[in-house]
Amino acid sequence: MKEILIIWKKELKDTLRDRRTLIAMIVMPMLLMPLLTVGMTKLMEQQYRNAEKETVQIAVLSDGVDQNLTALLEQNNLKIIEVGGDITEAINNDLVSAALYFPTDLKESLNRQEKVEVKIMRKSTDLQSSSALNRITSSINIYNNLVINQRFDKEGINPKILTGLTIVTEDISTQQEREGFGLGFILPMFIVMWSIIGGQYTAIDASAGEKERKTLEALLLTPVSRLKLVIGKFLSVATAGLTTIVISITSLYITIRYFGFGSFDQIGAEAAKTAETTISLTLPPQALLLLLLISSLLVLTFSAVLLSLGIFARSFKEAQSYISPAYLVVILPVVFVNSLPGFKPTLWFFCLPAVNAVLLFKEILVGTYDLGHIVVTIVSLTIYMVITLFITGKIYSKETILFKG
Amino acid sequence: MNALVKVENLTKTFGKITALKGINFQAHKGEIFGLLGPNGAGKTTAIRVIATVLTPTTGSAVVAGFDICNQPVEVRKNIGVLTTETGVYERFTGRENLKYFGELFNIPRDQLTNRLNELIELFKMNEFIDRRAGEYSTGMKQKLAIARSIIHDPQIIIFDEPTAGLDVLASQTVLNFMRQARELGKCVILSTHRLSDAERLCDRAAIIHQGKIVGVDEISRLMEISGTNNLEDAFLQLIKNRPLDEET
Repeated sequence: MKEILIIWKKELKDTLRDRRTLIAMIVMPMLLMPLLTVGMTKLMEQQYRNAEKETVQIAVLSDGVDQNLTALLEQNNLKIIEVGGDITEAINNDLVSAALYFPTDLKESLNRQEKVEVKIMRKSTDLQSSSALNRITSSINIYNNLVINQRFDKEGINPKILTGLTIVTEDISTQQEREGFGLGFILPMFIVMWSIIGGQYTAIDASAGEKERKTLEALLLTPVSRLKLVIGKFLSVATAGLTTIVISITSLYITIRYFGFGSFDQIGAEAAKTAETTISLTLPPQALLLLLLISSLLVLTFSAVLLSLGIFARSFKEAQSYISPAYLVVILPVVFVNSLPGFKPTLWFFCLPAVNAVLLFKEILVGTYDLGHIVVTIVSLTIYMVITLFITGKIYSKETILFKG
Repeated sequence: MNALVKVENLTKTFGKITALKGINFQAHKGEIFGLLGPNGAGKTTAIRVIATVLTPTTGSAVVAGFDICNQPVEVRKNIGVLTTETGVYERFTGRENLKYFGELFNIPRDQLTNRLNELIELFKMNEFIDRRAGEYSTGMKQKLAIARSIIHDPQIIIFDEPTAGLDVLASQTVLNFMRQARELGKCVILSTHRLSDAERLCDRAAIIHQGKIVGVDEISRLMEISGTNNLEDAFLQLIKNRPLDEET
């Protein structure tokens, strides 16, 4: 036990003396979390406002358009401009975002109570063009209602008889849930990332670093058993990772307390409302504790993985090139699960490392505490931790790996 | 004589490569024993197996009465090895480097402080010992590595190319240290390809070539057997008698 402590202390002291490690472990999470949170919220708000206000240019190809229709189009921030030459080219060159075709005898046809076809030309791969299509469609729908109303008036019928059912929606999600939804998208990703980044440099230093500096053999010549050596190193990597996790969660918590956190996910009229008001999100203490417990398990698992990958390398650089793809392996499923709309995870998703933490963090943030999910996550992460630690111990007793190169 | 290191039929293979092909030798208390051979002869592998860093494929060795296979921890406690891997922790001072290894050898604190001062004095490290090791010259690092390897004052000292990277003065310090250790009754094994050092220092030597020992005896006897009057010629003579592929 004493030897483990000696190794743990030495590795941490070494870490604390390395500027590069300190930046990744302490400074980055401390600064990056608030910067990202506040910065992204502000950016999203601004983008959203810009998109709302922005006028989109369109072309209308017909003569004698009804003034009412043009007015409706302009109300929807659409600007009608004259386009000479090929219209497809004009859309491709971003001169206009969409083009509207009416038959020349639009008014007459409507007066004859005929059905008139309106054609909209747009480019679906262009975001602005899609926005133009939505605005044109909504303008034409309103115009269509006007036309129908006029026709019914002429016949002396109340147009209301056309409406059988109307839809009224009511959002029953609590404010905490709406906020958690925004947070839930980004926060778990970062926690998973920090749980790797935090211990990364300490792990490389304690594994490949010993080879690069040529100190490994001297260490193996001491009476300390290889298992104790690994445990000491593992604990130091875990300590570094946990430090980062605590710093990043605390830093994020404080940021949210003081600056609020906008909702990223709801794009629509409602989002505009929420974005304008600053939200004060409070994570209850038990949620914070659960967050810490699960990320700790994650850190312990990753620490063993990092230490194992590191010892295969002969140098710091080589170790980094082994660890970088490992990030992808962890982050990709997380991104995938996060980006599925309306994804409802089944229980076995809570057995997947990293993915389970992300899903559970999401639930915690919206104030849902599913005991089954919590237990499965904790148990499975504990199992992963034991397995990875066991494998690490095995790897460190293989002389071919220790003396590679 | 009292044999502190007894090596019996030691072989070591790495995949298809056989680095040690059944070596035998004994090194005694109060002598400097040379392990001589060209680069790649198997000297370093032999040392690593004796020091329990590598496990032997077959055969065994007894170090200070402990078996390398069954009592590796006891072996490591009694043996001080300077390998060719003489790196140090660069963000630590020389003293911190030594202290760390002293603690890993479980030396009581006050005893360790005394031992550190003794070694700093012995290898004349006063001037730089409290500076970070990253700033050290090759020679300073080598001295630190030597001090580190004998921090626990072992009975058996094995030095692998200890004067590599050292200037004449520093080399003298190391060679003198080995003589001193012999006087103190320690068993010193010097592995080197510098035959002039070996000729001056060693009492007996094993000549190792391609994983085999081609001669073990007193230095003077080795010269006598090969009919030469210096160790270098004796060495070349012994190797010549063993054509490259004789054993394979």
